[in-house]
Amino acid sequence: MIPLTEPGLARLLTWLSPGFPVGAYTYSHGLERAIEEGAPRDAAALRVWIEGVLEFGTARADADLLREAWLAVTDEDEPRFERALAWGEAARGGPELALESRQQGASFLATVSAAWPAPALTRWTERAREMTRAPAHAVAVGIAAAVHGVPLEATLLAYLHAFAANLASAAVRLIPLGQTEAQRVLAELSPKLAECARAAAARDFAEFGSAAPMIDLLSMAHETQHVRLFRS
Amino acid sequence: MSYLDPPARLGIEARQGLVQLAARNVAGKTRIADLGQQTPLRLLFPRVAEGEPLTACIVNTAGGLVGGDRVAARVHVCAGARVLAIGQAAEKVYRSLGPACRIDNELAVESGGWLEYLPQETILFEDARLERRTQVELATGARAMIGEMLVFGRIARGERMTRGRVRDAIEIRREGRLVWADALHLDGDVHAALDHPAAFGCAHGSAILVAQLPEPERTRDLLRALPAPEGIRFGATAMSGLVLARWLAADTLALRRHFGAAWMLLRRLGGGLAERLPPLWHI
Repeated sequence: MIPLTEPGLARLLTWLSPGFPVGAYTYSHGLERAIEEGAPRDAAALRVWIEGVLEFGTARADADLLREAWLAVTDEDEPRFERALAWGEAARGGPELALESRQQGASFLATVSAAWPAPALTRWTERAREMTRAPAHAVAVGIAAAVHGVPLEATLLAYLHAFAANLASAAVRLIPLGQTEAQRVLAELSPKLAECARAAAARDFAEFGSAAPMIDLLSMAHETQHVRLFRS
Repeated sequence: MSYLDPPARLGIEARQGLVQLAARNVAGKTRIADLGQQTPLRLLFPRVAEGEPLTACIVNTAGGLVGGDRVAARVHVCAGARVLAIGQAAEKVYRSLGPACRIDNELAVESGGWLEYLPQETILFEDARLERRTQVELATGARAMIGEMLVFGRIARGERMTRGRVRDAIEIRREGRLVWADALHLDGDVHAALDHPAAFGCAHGSAILVAQLPEPERTRDLLRALPAPEGIRFGATAMSGLVLARWLAADTLALRRHFGAAWMLLRRLGGGLAERLPPLWHI
């Protein structure tokens, strides 16, 4: 793992913090519907759930997209950049999951461009616009990290951690679960997060994909759920 | 249904099969414009009821796929032509300790064309290794229904897939632009994903249906209203101008029946066709 220098660490802590204005707290990634249907009900089940999203679900695919965007920007590889954008936009299981990724991606790029401007960031964002593609959240994070010289594996870990923490935070409100219990779940997930980040950094795009049709089905059901706190 | 046991084909060298069909509209009738086939794949054209699309039945004379096999189906539907391509039987993917078998499908529908691509279920044996890619090119104004059904193991025999590799990608392009994609990736411990509540939720089978039809939101609503029996997880949505439906079920026969019901509903709503499927589907 390439060591993370001080400005890189500060950037990741900021960009992937729950306070960063991308509206992450408005998305539950199918969890609101799952809890409505009766599972998961406690901290142990929540941990299993998040592990599934990391290993089989969108978090796995998003990690691949982040890596592709990071490498494309680092290597100035336009076709690879375009592929990451296209798959990041198209490979979404439903309109809610597409919104979750697209809207956070747009907010992320807008904020980073305003607060951490860089000519390369402007250039790649412009390329995405020319390709009429809305960058997925993971792709946007990959672009910003590459432009600002933040190492790939650390960025993947930060992204996956933010994904997991957001699910845990949604669970606190939905199950409901105690704050401390939710933090314990995240602590227990630490080795898993590191393992997923390491694996994603080394994976090839030929292995891109996910195996969590249940999340897509939950999101489809969530679209017509009467009382909703979350947008996914 | 007869099964060839995997060992019976272990010594057989890998094959490369292909079927290719282009259909065009000639004075209001769909005619074959181009036809190609390479064993073990064959195309048959059963007689169909009045008003039905040209029905092409894809046959795998080898009775299944072994590691290293490469098969491809290419279907091109020209403007105003109507085609229903159906698998003759369930496709069996046998155990492979070596290379994967590859299925490459390329489907294209021009504006005003109609395509139903309805393979029967793919049955994945223990240690099966499958790489399938279905690329669909749709013109604006084309109508198409694309389905896939996976069965994880020889469920009727009480066998369930626990290990193997399945990569199954569906890519929908409109005028060359990727608008929707699904990339299923299962590798190694398949059992873990199948039993995980956030992944397959203990299903033995899954299905997906992607359709480009007029009025996708209305079609989605009518599809959602289709009653699903107990034990079948079914959902529908609309995005990127497409209607999407998914299924997960432990009972793969019930899944197949419900998938068929949804298919019939959509072909009536989107194609003005009778709510029926070829007799082959019901065997």
